[in-house]
Amino acid sequence: MQNNHSDFVVEVENLGISYETRKGLVDAVRDVSFAIAKGETLGLVGESGCGKSTTAYGLIRYLGKNGRISGGEIRFQGTSLIGRTAKELRSLRGDRIAMVYQDPMSSLNPALSIADQMEEVLTVHRDMDPDEARQRCVAMLERVYMPDPESVLERYPHQISGGQQQRVVIGMAMLNDPALLIMDEPTTALDVTVEAAVLDLVADLRKDYDTAILFITHNLGVIARVSDRIGVMYAGELVELASVGEIFRAPKHPYTQGLIRCLPKLGRTKSSSVLHPIPGRVPSPAALPTGCLFAPRCDYTIETCNAEAPQPREIEALHLVRCIRSEEIDPKKWTPPSDLAPAVAMDTDTAPVDEPVLEVDQVKTYYEQGSASLLSLIGMGQKEYVQAVDGISFKINKGSTLGVVGESGCGKSTLIKTLIGLEELTDGKASFLGFDINEKVRHRDIALIRELQMVFQNPDSTLNPSYSIGKQIGRPLRRFKIVPRDQARAEVIRLLRAVKLDEHYYDRLPRQLSGGEKQRVGIARAFAGRPDLVLCDEPVSALDVSVQAAVLNLLLEIQAEHQTTMVFIAHDLSVVRFFSDYVAVMYLGKIAEYGKADDIYAPPYHPYTESLLASVPIPDPDVTQIPIRLDGNVPSPLNPPTGCPFHTRCPRRSLLPDGGLVCETDAPPWREAGNGHRISCHIPLDQLSELEHVVHAAT
Amino acid sequence: MVVSENTAVSTVQAPTEQTPERNSAFRDGLNILLGSKVAVVGLCLVGFWLIVAVFADNCLFTPTCWFAGDDYEPTPWLARYSPYKQFSGENLAGPSAKHWLGTDKLGRDLWARLAQGSRIILTVAPLATLIALIIGGGMGLVAGYYGGMIDEVTMRVLDGVMAFPHILLYMVIIAAVGPSATNIVLAITIAGAPGIARLVRSLTLDIKTRDYVAAAQTRGEHPAYIMLMEILPNARGPIIIDAMLRIGYSVFAIGTLGYLGLGLPPPSPDWGSIVSSGRRLIMMGHIWDSLWACLAIAMLVVGLNLLADGIAEETQRYR
Repeated sequence: MQNNHSDFVVEVENLGISYETRKGLVDAVRDVSFAIAKGETLGLVGESGCGKSTTAYGLIRYLGKNGRISGGEIRFQGTSLIGRTAKELRSLRGDRIAMVYQDPMSSLNPALSIADQMEEVLTVHRDMDPDEARQRCVAMLERVYMPDPESVLERYPHQISGGQQQRVVIGMAMLNDPALLIMDEPTTALDVTVEAAVLDLVADLRKDYDTAILFITHNLGVIARVSDRIGVMYAGELVELASVGEIFRAPKHPYTQGLIRCLPKLGRTKSSSVLHPIPGRVPSPAALPTGCLFAPRCDYTIETCNAEAPQPREIEALHLVRCIRSEEIDPKKWTPPSDLAPAVAMDTDTAPVDEPVLEVDQVKTYYEQGSASLLSLIGMGQKEYVQAVDGISFKINKGSTLGVVGESGCGKSTLIKTLIGLEELTDGKASFLGFDINEKVRHRDIALIRELQMVFQNPDSTLNPSYSIGKQIGRPLRRFKIVPRDQARAEVIRLLRAVKLDEHYYDRLPRQLSGGEKQRVGIARAFAGRPDLVLCDEPVSALDVSVQAAVLNLLLEIQAEHQTTMVFIAHDLSVVRFFSDYVAVMYLGKIAEYGKADDIYAPPYHPYTESLLASVPIPDPDVTQIPIRLDGNVPSPLNPPTGCPFHTRCPRRSLLPDGGLVCETDAPPWREAGNGHRISCHIPLDQLSELEHVVHAAT
Repeated sequence: MVVSENTAVSTVQAPTEQTPERNSAFRDGLNILLGSKVAVVGLCLVGFWLIVAVFADNCLFTPTCWFAGDDYEPTPWLARYSPYKQFSGENLAGPSAKHWLGTDKLGRDLWARLAQGSRIILTVAPLATLIALIIGGGMGLVAGYYGGMIDEVTMRVLDGVMAFPHILLYMVIIAAVGPSATNIVLAITIAGAPGIARLVRSLTLDIKTRDYVAAAQTRGEHPAYIMLMEILPNARGPIIIDAMLRIGYSVFAIGTLGYLGLGLPPPSPDWGSIVSSGRRLIMMGHIWDSLWACLAIAMLVVGLNLLADGIAEETQRYR
């Protein structure tokens, strides 16, 4: 491709992959070419269904029964992989080529100990004797910064945390010193602090072993952090291939530009910027448009685009683009098409009135769990309590949004399930517009139920697969008697329009909709009863970035129109910052820091907030973050640490005079930083204020 | 995975021209049936006996037949003769043009008796399964949805019932209440309900964690609505497959009861009774009674199983 380096570990030329389906052969990947040199990381990025994973599997000829390579050439270390027998391929895989998959729990065999699985790699491929293999495994676990490797080897996968599992998988992949490492969304299932540590590890290993890495992810922030070069895939084609800096600073393909535009940058807020989603959706590989595949969604389409398929061109040195107009288009001069511009000009002055809608006071939600003893089997054992939410207080004013962030297991979902009445409140008091909402939803008055609704996380399970869209949006209308029966259909269609779907969706079934469309229907259903308070449980985290932008815009628009109050949960700090007026950072069932969104993202920080900000992957290679990484695992909420729950992992305890002994014994006091900003920490406020800004944008 | 999601959506027509969903549920069902070779074979086997049962004589199409006494003689159609008609001097005959499958020891036409017997078995077996499904399914839904003590108590009681071998249960129940069509249904229901309850409970446990169930709860829906309208429709696939298999088991059970003399009283031509009475003739060299009745039972049961397998395989592929 580029210069004739013989250094390339793997070279892919015009690769095509097709799958046999009921509708005949479907080309999932077409005409993909790239090469990865020794010690280089190539990132493949794109929305779901763009053929990223298929390309990776095709590379090692692992396509399942109905898939096959329909064209092109794959050369690994100079020799072709096409036409090799299954046996030859098998000896390559796991030896010269290693793979790391998304979910570490399912890549490890739960029935074998870590030692058995790791040593097998060496005994099978290298004929090593067991003792030597074991020593190598211990050394490798040390290399991937696993604490106490000897004892980890004796454990089973379920006995170590998700981050540790992924370290084991990566260590296993590196055992034979592979020439090529393929990583398919290796950090997607991990929390942001763990993700940051794993990405650091990948960078380290690459330096030491000089491995070529193919890194696949949908997350632009992650790809910016790990890659040297980035390939952007769209609908089975590689549309742009360039260095990280080029891709983010001067993207040439309209799709790349669109992807970058629809991300909320850390620091942007809804009052200072709007998100610009890419209209439309990725075409199905069975029904591709003629000409340029991106043309139907592109802002720069001219007639030629629809007529003939563009070929990849090298418009600058080492910068390939599959677009005929790349030279003419300048992302800086881009203006959003009028129908895309969100109707809401975010007026922060008019929004929050000082009129609390929701007041939460020392709310606790505990789950009872019998301890693992014989006595508890007959109901006499000691009861243990999972302290999912442990004494949370806040107020939300009408029309404003509270964002809740925290790693998985911090109790953020339990909090909103308690508020909406799906979980029983153990202690404390919650009131909504002055009415008690301490009871479960079955005991609440229907008028109250109507005012509190929820948007769910998973687009695939938010809608009942058995009923049409119209029926599902119509149900709350009937239940809450919003409109007379004969007007229900008209109202459903009005709601569909409000979420930017047309009336043809009325009779469709959920399986005929894409993820983003399902999420819109879920939003329409939540807003059908015209509620005053909507609780959103990670409504965009399962969506592709372009769809995520559209859904966020939609929520903002509806909120502005109805003055709806919202609680918004997300694990993506950039999204929360963008979307919320107030932010609560949760750790182990408690609020660590609470305040206006702007105040949270600047010093004084709670040490936990600081580490979160240091870990969040930022889709901009010019931004630097202070490298703070958390050690250890989140402690179990069954038995949370005494004193400050964060003391076991806190990187800032050393700021306290005696090394933070007080953190282990006393619950931290609230430090008021003014403007409603409060931090739960033993470290005095002035010391917290002296902390550096975590995120630095390059000038 | 990408492809499968899209195959359902990507039709060549514009979305506006799509037929409304109501028809396509039926079409989907038909596609599933005809899409699998296994299911088609099963459908043929079961369909054969269904047609024989419906058109055995004119009885199903003549309302007078339903209210007439025992002396009403229906006109035989597919059955060719009345199952009770005795051809004197032709008893224990082998297959011939006049008597396709031969005659029994009283000179009754075996084909006529099998045809009439299919009507009994194809009424009693599905009916018993349906009732077991309603009772067992209801218990499973409630136990799975509420959990806790309700679940424990219900399931332990059902476990108790399951601890008895089915055959023993049938014998005890029939012996206690006497052999009749109603009591056979009762026995099969009691023996079958716990298994169905288990299946429905496990499906419920899975489905109740879905967000749409939580959405219904946050609307303050009644638990009965959630169970019947939100959960049950999404459990239908496995339940239908299980029901197919269970109809097969019921066919066996009815045959077994007939064989044990606990089936319908003579001269009823149910298949189990034919096997049973024919058993004594085998030693005398007349194998036809038992052979045909056993073949009929096997054909129906194999057909139902193939149908269930085919549907299971096809619905899995759709996922």
